[in-house]
Amino acid sequence: MKKFLIFILFNLLIFNFIKAETHLVDANKIFKNLRCLVCQGQSIAESNSEYAQTIKLVVRDQINDGKSEKEIYDFLIEKYGEWMVYDPPFTKNNLLLWIIPYLVFLGGGILIFFLVRQNNQN
Amino acid sequence: MMLSNLGNILLITNIVIGFSIIYNSFKDLTIKKNFIQRRIYQLCVFQSTLVIMCFLSLIIAFVISDFSVSTVYHNSHSLKPILYKISGTWGNHEGSLLLWVIILTIFSFLFLLYNKKHPKNYRLITLIIQNILILGFLFFIFFNSNPFSKIIPIPTEGLGLNPILQDPALAIHPPLLYLGFVGSSIYFSAAMSSLVTSYSGKSFALSIKKWIVISWSFQTLGILVGSIWAYYELGWGGFWFWDPVENASLLPWFAMAALMHSVIVLEKRNLLYFWTIILCLLTFTLSVTGTFLVRSGILNSVHTFANDPTRGIYILIFLSLMIFSSLFILFKKYKFVNQNINTNSKETFILINNWFMIFYLITVLLGTVYPIFTEVITNHKISIGPPFYNTVIIPIVVLFLLLMAVGPNIKWIKNDLKNFNFLLKIGIISILINFCIFYFFKSYSFLSNLIIISAIFLIISSSRDLHKLINNNKNDFPRIISHLSFGFLILFIGLNHNFSLEKDFNLKLGERKKFENYTLEFKNLRLDELKNYKAVIGEFKIDDSRNNSIKFLYPEIRIYDNPSTLTYEASIRSGLFKDYYITMSNIDRSDYYNIKFQKKPFMLWIWISAMFISFGGFLRLINNGKKNF
Repeated sequence: MKKFLIFILFNLLIFNFIKAETHLVDANKIFKNLRCLVCQGQSIAESNSEYAQTIKLVVRDQINDGKSEKEIYDFLIEKYGEWMVYDPPFTKNNLLLWIIPYLVFLGGGILIFFLVRQNNQN
Repeated sequence: MMLSNLGNILLITNIVIGFSIIYNSFKDLTIKKNFIQRRIYQLCVFQSTLVIMCFLSLIIAFVISDFSVSTVYHNSHSLKPILYKISGTWGNHEGSLLLWVIILTIFSFLFLLYNKKHPKNYRLITLIIQNILILGFLFFIFFNSNPFSKIIPIPTEGLGLNPILQDPALAIHPPLLYLGFVGSSIYFSAAMSSLVTSYSGKSFALSIKKWIVISWSFQTLGILVGSIWAYYELGWGGFWFWDPVENASLLPWFAMAALMHSVIVLEKRNLLYFWTIILCLLTFTLSVTGTFLVRSGILNSVHTFANDPTRGIYILIFLSLMIFSSLFILFKKYKFVNQNINTNSKETFILINNWFMIFYLITVLLGTVYPIFTEVITNHKISIGPPFYNTVIIPIVVLFLLLMAVGPNIKWIKNDLKNFNFLLKIGIISILINFCIFYFFKSYSFLSNLIIISAIFLIISSSRDLHKLINNNKNDFPRIISHLSFGFLILFIGLNHNFSLEKDFNLKLGERKKFENYTLEFKNLRLDELKNYKAVIGEFKIDDSRNNSIKFLYPEIRIYDNPSTLTYEASIRSGLFKDYYITMSNIDRSDYYNIKFQKKPFMLWIWISAMFISFGGFLRLINNGKKNF
């Protein structure tokens, strides 16, 4: 138990050094999260189309205007629809998408827990 | 003309042989002898030979550019290099289905041949089910996707193969992946047969184990080669995009990985029989589902190069029949078995492995098919890409890596908590190493910290296993290689992710761009004419002021004539520790070129780690081969 406490303390000390990252808006990250609407399954970052060039300009302009990442996504979703962003927003329609994986994880854990415990009692 | 007729005759003969194998197997089941008739072996040899001949005749049609055959006309061109004429055979829908049937047939024959110790009715029913699958695909080929259909009048020139598919990695990618995908059919059939004949337990586990390892190893290699191709050919510097087609190859991989572990429990302790059966059925079902999603064209993907709705309907019917019949038999034969498993035992850890694998599987499956449902139900198109998978999967991977390090050292049946202190020490060392990377090089997010710590934890723990192994001679070497390499794979992906440098800018000939410690100069632009394309080649000088090194890279814009396409070739300078990666594309009505510069650390090591993961599988086969055959 003592060793475990030392372990925890040690972790706290180490992670104390980890400062929060500075929140600069990264244009490349945004490009990667946007679908190129005129291409087949490519993101804006990888596409060489004229459309992608235009979107890149738009995004860069918005960054220069001081908009946050989320504001830029919202702007593009309003203009082009949810199809445009690779990160589906947490809305009513996408609720199942975001919770089913965790339900499966939880359910599996409970199943194994009971399967194994039941036998320990026998 | 002749080849097309020959091909069709061979296809029909194959269908006849398929039926005759099924007929003879049923007849043989009623005969009370312990061995299988010679005639069935002969038919199987005949079947394998004919299907290979069938494929060879298609290859020959491609090599001699026989444009009377429609597949050749649509996918080849007389000026194409010979290697890509041959690989063009399976670079299209019809030809790849024929490859699919070859693997079904050969696996069917080998399974019959290498399981002589197992009961006759189990082997025969496996053979029957496998042949039903073969017939299903043969009918599909013959009536819907016939590679040998004729074109009259005969065209003088073919339409050519999509240039991005003209690539050595992509030439070997489908055969490797298919050995995995289609290889899983044999334990689908064996699982059905096992249910029907009530042949379970250790000997059943032994009969399918090597086939699981074979398919898993090839699947791993196939995914790896596909990723390498995507890295250098698609020109965005990544190797995995969570694209529907990539996901389709990953889904059976998860099921195989789960199966590979649970089958050991069945072998050693005779537990989890029904669970193993479900995984067997699931793996091949997922393979066919993947094929359905890709070939029907209902998913939008970068890899979609051939699709047609009628194919989708056929595969969907086939898939539904497969699922319903397997579920029917499963429910009919299912009975509750009390699993005698202790909390702290190897069995529990293998169950936990399966639990995680199923979680990954469901997440990826959901992410792949969810957009279809939202579009049908709410008429709302959404995209699910890397951010979703990264958010959901990565935190769980941390836990998974830690358990992967601990699990293999737990004993069967019951284990005591002796090595806990040791794990604590490994944990502290991992955190320290991560801290050094973090402190001396560059800071990264909290989650990345956890990933790197847990990967190092797995690496150290597996290395220790390796060290112990050298002292006492145990048969655990392949497992350690695969686990160790998996740790390295995640570590290098983590480092690669956090230490990559990407720049996207526009440059004119002769201009320079400075960023961090690099200076990039656009030195030259020249035009080259090659045999089947024209190329605009740029020359870029990268000056690294920190290491005082100068490198030259030559990205290209290629103009292909048949079919006429524009492709952008990345120029990559691979090194031991990092790759430099440049792509260039023209901007219309301007002298500027759009340049993407990337520095990608440890790319080479990502490939090597993945290669060693599958190498572990092959090693297991060799080791077991020495014992079993």
